[in-house]
Amino acid sequence: MGRMIQLPSPDPEIVARRDEIVAALKRLVPDGVIFKPAGLAAYDGDALAAYRQAPLACALPKTKEEVSAVLAFAHEMGVPIVPRGAGTSLSGGALPRADGILLGLSRMNRILEVDIENRCVVTEPGVTNAAITRAVEGHGFYYAPDPSSQIACTIGGNIAENSGGLHCLKYGLTTHNLLGVEFALPDGERLRLGGKAAGGEGLDLLGVVCGSEGLLGVVVEATVRILPKPRCARTLLAAFQSVPNSGACVANIIAAGIVPAAMEFMDRRCIEAVEVYCAPGYPKAEAILIIEIDGLPSEVTDAVARVTEIARASGAHEVREATDDRERERLWKGRKAAFSAMGRLAPDMLCMDGTIPRRALPAVLARMAEMAKEYGLGFCNVFHAGDGNLHPLIIFDVMKEGELERAETFGAEILRLCVNVGGVLTGEHGVGVEKRDLMPEMFSEADLAQQQRLKCAFDSASLCNPGKVFPMLSACIEQGHVHVKRGAMRHQELPRF
Amino acid sequence: MATFRVSGEADVVEVVRAARESKRTLEIIGHGTKRGFGRPVECGDVLDLSGLTGIVNFEPDEMIITARAGTPVAEIEAALAEKNQRLGFEPADWGPLFGAPPNSATIGGVLSADANGSAAIRYGRCRDHLLGFRAVNGFGEAYKGGGKVVKNVTGFDLPKLMCGAMGTLGPLTEITLRVFPKPSITAVHAVRDLSAEDGLALLRNVWSSPLESSGLGFHNGDAFIRLEGSRAALDEKMKFLRELATHQLERIEDFDKVFRELASGKFVVAATGVVWLVHAPPANATRLVAEIQPQAWCADWAGALLWVVCDPRCNVRDVCRRFEARAIRMRSDNSIPPFAPEDSVRRALTRRVEAAFDPLRLFNPDRMWEGV
Repeated sequence: MGRMIQLPSPDPEIVARRDEIVAALKRLVPDGVIFKPAGLAAYDGDALAAYRQAPLACALPKTKEEVSAVLAFAHEMGVPIVPRGAGTSLSGGALPRADGILLGLSRMNRILEVDIENRCVVTEPGVTNAAITRAVEGHGFYYAPDPSSQIACTIGGNIAENSGGLHCLKYGLTTHNLLGVEFALPDGERLRLGGKAAGGEGLDLLGVVCGSEGLLGVVVEATVRILPKPRCARTLLAAFQSVPNSGACVANIIAAGIVPAAMEFMDRRCIEAVEVYCAPGYPKAEAILIIEIDGLPSEVTDAVARVTEIARASGAHEVREATDDRERERLWKGRKAAFSAMGRLAPDMLCMDGTIPRRALPAVLARMAEMAKEYGLGFCNVFHAGDGNLHPLIIFDVMKEGELERAETFGAEILRLCVNVGGVLTGEHGVGVEKRDLMPEMFSEADLAQQQRLKCAFDSASLCNPGKVFPMLSACIEQGHVHVKRGAMRHQELPRF
Repeated sequence: MATFRVSGEADVVEVVRAARESKRTLEIIGHGTKRGFGRPVECGDVLDLSGLTGIVNFEPDEMIITARAGTPVAEIEAALAEKNQRLGFEPADWGPLFGAPPNSATIGGVLSADANGSAAIRYGRCRDHLLGFRAVNGFGEAYKGGGKVVKNVTGFDLPKLMCGAMGTLGPLTEITLRVFPKPSITAVHAVRDLSAEDGLALLRNVWSSPLESSGLGFHNGDAFIRLEGSRAALDEKMKFLRELATHQLERIEDFDKVFRELASGKFVVAATGVVWLVHAPPANATRLVAEIQPQAWCADWAGALLWVVCDPRCNVRDVCRRFEARAIRMRSDNSIPPFAPEDSVRRALTRRVEAAFDPLRLFNPDRMWEGV
């Protein structure tokens, strides 16, 4: 079966040296090397489930020194490295290579310091997102970015992907909540970027490391900002008989200068699926918005009144508010279970992640519905409406001839539509493998060349997570304005320009 | 030395390509208000972006504005104000610190200098708001980074890198910023006659409370607290603030002035000595100041940003290192590097990153460090 996205073909010279590589890794990480096929199978991919590939070997270091040692070794031997946190990436960011070492950071899972006075937490990269909040909630604080995989996903992975979540409309992505990292470069050297004080150190290298999808190096320690828990949060549900009206409602709320903590959209198909799955008691509607407002009680009261008014004026036939915490939890439960609920409708799902200007929501939602009919595939929409971050879910069956290809083509078509209306390919899931070949839709050759030159400044040997993000592997040449495929460059002296 | 005054991106490309050919370096300026910031540069020619002006697209409903890099900040702020919006990072006006007239900076200059105001403690710094840009690199290629929507992780986050790069990565030609709604009411209160320790502790308490304060400054025994919101919200916040501050709260009528002056360094620049801007973990600020013993100082961001004026012999950077802080030399004594020297690993990386954008080192050479 020919797939749209080609995985790199393994380098036979590296694969032939497997035993030697495993032996060396065992010396560097004595109790943390997996090399038997049964063990490696557990690491053969992430949440982009259609792609599977066992790594050459897997190293699970416990200290930053061990991370550096593995990187230095791989660098010297010319072996690719794929960093991995909990493997929850939706874009294939942690997809291994048959000729590469999978560097798993999950055993580096200690919180190193809770500094309430400076409102920050210093942690190892394998600590889960939710564990950071658990460590500070007793003091009245929390860590704001909340990707839906937050019980499992690690802070190191969040930094690599610049993860978002339900509440990033008001509180920002990972990058807005990250103060500093200790970072291991692909050759194993380590450096500190940022710290408990934000800014003031010259070039903002922390800014580009965050969201670099494992292409620039490995986070071995992180310092993140914690926020005081809001005094009050109220949750509304607005139901619409028209999808475009719900989209207009979102645009109207934003235009009114209201910044809800979260504003989530679900369409009819999704509402029905979660109703069957966990019965949150949603009304019958073509679309619903779940809107959460937080802050001090009086501001929340004020905003709730304005949002209710806007929703009705935008055509909502029902606006209800959760009257107590239990009902509030139930409203959110349905939204959070949306992916699992849809998963019951079909064996396979593809979740897209484009972001569009909010004013384009009604038109794009309408066009996507038409496209679903054209492709003859199941389809639903559940997404972060407040920041225009779409998550169209395409339902297919990988066992049915041609459905995966059709689903991927449909997905690519949606992302092209996002770019055409002024949006971007990915709002929070990352490019990874999944959207790699679509990068030229958004970026010109010059745009991509500049990003690849930056990659080369960090990783001149192109060993850190190669085959991700950029459509073509290119060798790093000093001054980098000529790109040559890696294969053509392997055994020759690089010319200088 | 020639000055190339450009009016479009194509002109910038042409000037850079010519500079490449002739191997002549370019000093990049907007209105030139912060030319004294950083290391002195000696360039072959000047690339003047002050003619590259105009708001390209302002969509109040999307809370996004796109403008050419040479557009005056004042023009952008006026356009936003008309729609009851503003820049969240509240650009700091550093020009007067270097002898320029007030309020005359361009948006490209403010971003390149990473000049953030007091509201950044609540809404984020300019690096948090620059969604996308167009620029010309040292290869003479026009390119873009980032996007024009509020949530985007497609490719490397180059906009972050451009903020504070002081033009060393090449001239910005166009920028897209996220903007924020103006609150219906803003109120600034002062608490007078506090020791540095008590004043900064009060500000940190407000910072750690759910008040979402957009200004937390301290100068000369006075703590200044800025709150925003609707009438009802503000009443509630004031009640809350009275519980936190056991002292008398004094309402300041000209609420804009105090934080504008604080962020521009105006409170301290009359003192003689080297002017430093220190980024510090806020809870370390009191001890840090006590140890430096400056001629004059004031704090923004609840102590996370300190303006400090001291004798040139005072080793500010050594003290900062011990308190996990970083000092930027703002004014006087060009022999002191503007940024703390990097360790060898980071220095090598910084140079490689710079070379990835500007391999011939055409743009503002040595402006940040020797070699960058």
